[in-house]
Amino acid sequence: MKKTTCAGNMSQVVLVLDSAIKHSELHSRLMRFINEFPAVYGGIHRDINLCPYWRISEKAEENLNFTSYNCSNEGDMRTLLGECINKPFKDNSEHLAFHFINIENQKSYLAMTFDHRLFDARGAETFLKLFQQHHENNNDPAISSGIPFTAPAHLSGWLKKFLAGRNVNRKIIAMSKTPPEILPIPSGRNKRFKFRLISFNQQETQTIYDNAYKKAGYLMEMPFLLAVVMQAMHELFRKREMTADSYLASVTIDMRTGEDIKQELFFNHVSYLFFQAQSEIMSNQKELINSIKMQMYEQVKAGIPRDIMEASHLTRIAPLPFLKKIIDIPLKGKISTFIFSHVSKNPLSPDIMGTRIENVFHMPRVSVPPGLGFFSNYFNGRLNLVISYLDGLISNEEVNMLGKNIKEKLTEIPSPLVAMARRGEG
Amino acid sequence: MTSKDIEDKLIQGIASIINKDKSSIASDIPFHKLGLDSLGFVEILVFIEKTFNLQLIESGLDKKDFETIQSLASLIHKKL
Repeated sequence: MKKTTCAGNMSQVVLVLDSAIKHSELHSRLMRFINEFPAVYGGIHRDINLCPYWRISEKAEENLNFTSYNCSNEGDMRTLLGECINKPFKDNSEHLAFHFINIENQKSYLAMTFDHRLFDARGAETFLKLFQQHHENNNDPAISSGIPFTAPAHLSGWLKKFLAGRNVNRKIIAMSKTPPEILPIPSGRNKRFKFRLISFNQQETQTIYDNAYKKAGYLMEMPFLLAVVMQAMHELFRKREMTADSYLASVTIDMRTGEDIKQELFFNHVSYLFFQAQSEIMSNQKELINSIKMQMYEQVKAGIPRDIMEASHLTRIAPLPFLKKIIDIPLKGKISTFIFSHVSKNPLSPDIMGTRIENVFHMPRVSVPPGLGFFSNYFNGRLNLVISYLDGLISNEEVNMLGKNIKEKLTEIPSPLVAMARRGEG
Repeated sequence: MTSKDIEDKLIQGIASIINKDKSSIASDIPFHKLGLDSLGFVEILVFIEKTFNLQLIESGLDKKDFETIQSLASLIHKKL
């Protein structure tokens, strides 16, 4: 409950393994590991006159939600992974579940489904890294030493938090001058999410990074990826004949500063940057990238991500529906067109229990609205992009189109003549 | 301000952005080897603007400018 910017959401990190692991051994090792961390069996409590806090029960239940499946092909595996992330936790004390999927004893998938109140994506990856270390060090119980499990229940520094809240509110009002377009939310009570994984091989990934450098500049992969996703979304709106003045992407960012995040493993440490772009510049990638870079620069300079973190602490005293209204009213319920994130680092070692990790990707459920998110991550020289969407929000054909457009724009190799023209030669 | 003074200030600022001890940051390390991503890099550019009153985001920087902290210090020295 330390930081609750993603409270209530679920996500899933998936490890693709190049062979099978004995599931009974995996289960017992996970059980021993998890029992070193009573925080995973905690929950939010609110005592009289106290702000909400994360309370670890004295008698933790110590019952790990672990399921294993066998399937014969990748299609069935993808369906199973979708089932796992769409299955709610059994109650308020469960925040973690593991799913092991074995494909014909040749390949396997380990999925960790987690509550975003317990971990954010980087925290979840680091938790699995600790599991790797726990296994390598023969179940060393010292693995959990020095990790803080609790946060103070009180809310301190009121004025600072209210001033941060005021700055965030001003930013929202500024963005609301041209409310962004969103896709209409399907009616009904369907809360299932669907996912599309676009995985790039090492050569394609290298091309993407080269393109990012050429088109966006040194270390500017995120603005390049976001620009391409925005252009693909614009194409989708155009195909639907929906006229949009502007689009708004909420980009989640990790607020930890260090590389070793063991001290900040639990709870949520993300904040946001907001990128708004007028539809008229969508056909000009260079202008779009420049606009994204400048918005990032201005927001970092103005301290917006830190203000959002500070202001999010107000959720300890003000109910979330009230705070949601403060955001909803100026933006007329159109909080953003889509969510985006790019994680360029991964802490995992190359293997787990003697089995090589081929790939890692994330399957987060996105808040509704917008009910649509694009999540890229880098592992072992490869880039992945996962499209996560509320079932019914976009059709299969539209997801195919999004995937195709994004892939083509990211991996585009300009012909020598085009490259010369861009450089102003010839 | 000498190039060495700029280099020292840069090391101090970068150390605080990436949460490392400044003694562990050598001035001949390329920026991408410091584990920086787009956001960390922009934080450094904002630090440069606040410290040296120089806005570098729009000035068409390339890898050469960020080959090392030394090369960036020398670029800032030229621009001041």
